[in-house]
Amino acid sequence: MSLNILIVDDSPVMRSFVRRVMQLSGLDVNQYLEAANGAEALDVAASQPIDAVFTDINMPIMDGEEFVRRLRQQPAFNHTPVIVISTDATANRIENMIALGASGYIQKPFGPEQLRNETERVLNLNNGGACV
Amino acid sequence: MFDASRENDLVRALLASCCEQVLETMFFSSPLDPTEPPLSTGQARVHSRLAFRGRPAGAFEVDADPQVSRHLAASFLGLAEADVSPQQVIDVLGEFANMACGSALSSLARVEYFHLDPPQTAAVDCFTPSIEGVRRAFVLEGGTLGVCLRVEFDPE
Repeated sequence: MSLNILIVDDSPVMRSFVRRVMQLSGLDVNQYLEAANGAEALDVAASQPIDAVFTDINMPIMDGEEFVRRLRQQPAFNHTPVIVISTDATANRIENMIALGASGYIQKPFGPEQLRNETERVLNLNNGGACV
Repeated sequence: MFDASRENDLVRALLASCCEQVLETMFFSSPLDPTEPPLSTGQARVHSRLAFRGRPAGAFEVDADPQVSRHLAASFLGLAEADVSPQQVIDVLGEFANMACGSALSSLARVEYFHLDPPQTAAVDCFTPSIEGVRRAFVLEGGTLGVCLRVEFDPE
């Protein structure tokens, strides 16, 4: 399965890093889409097919919490895998993001193996346990 | 009973392990020498500082030789050093500050919650440390990288 990936982060260098690690991980990606905040990400999601979303939390204009909340309010994105990438791995933060609808969580620092493992885990959940 | 000296030792050890993990995992770089280099006060550095709020509150700063900063940016982005722009050097060191600080705070047992403010990063001709706290420094390809973390568990 070739994936359309949406990367949401206000840092251009972090978006580049996620793309790079995604390539190193060996995941089959068809298209990388990018947004600098949650509001931009909602616009992109409305106009392009998306298979999985990777989002930061702390962003200007619309942060990751509000983005995940609004994305999940849309029936078309009820089951779209959303993986949070954050430096904050406190239990409070992770529980809050999962409660809002995040499918997975990757703590920085991370490399290709962690990215691949978490992506495959949430895609398998989404496919009812079938192999990606 | 709370032992401030013991807690400083723990933060110092944690700072070293978290910074090394960030360098190895996301910058594909490792410290070259276990000996800690001297403070870089007065030298040309790329410097990034951020504050964090919550329980605890505090601040974190990182300073690096310009050559180290360029090398780290190139490694992070998968580019040749000659292809890295000055803005990318600044942005990547800010990301390092964000990740090293967040990683250290997430590993501290007494941390309840925190919010990292955006890092303020710039190249300076004459570096002066701007916060008091637990310091560590590393020898990397091209020079040294220093970090400092101040944690206030009960800010007034």
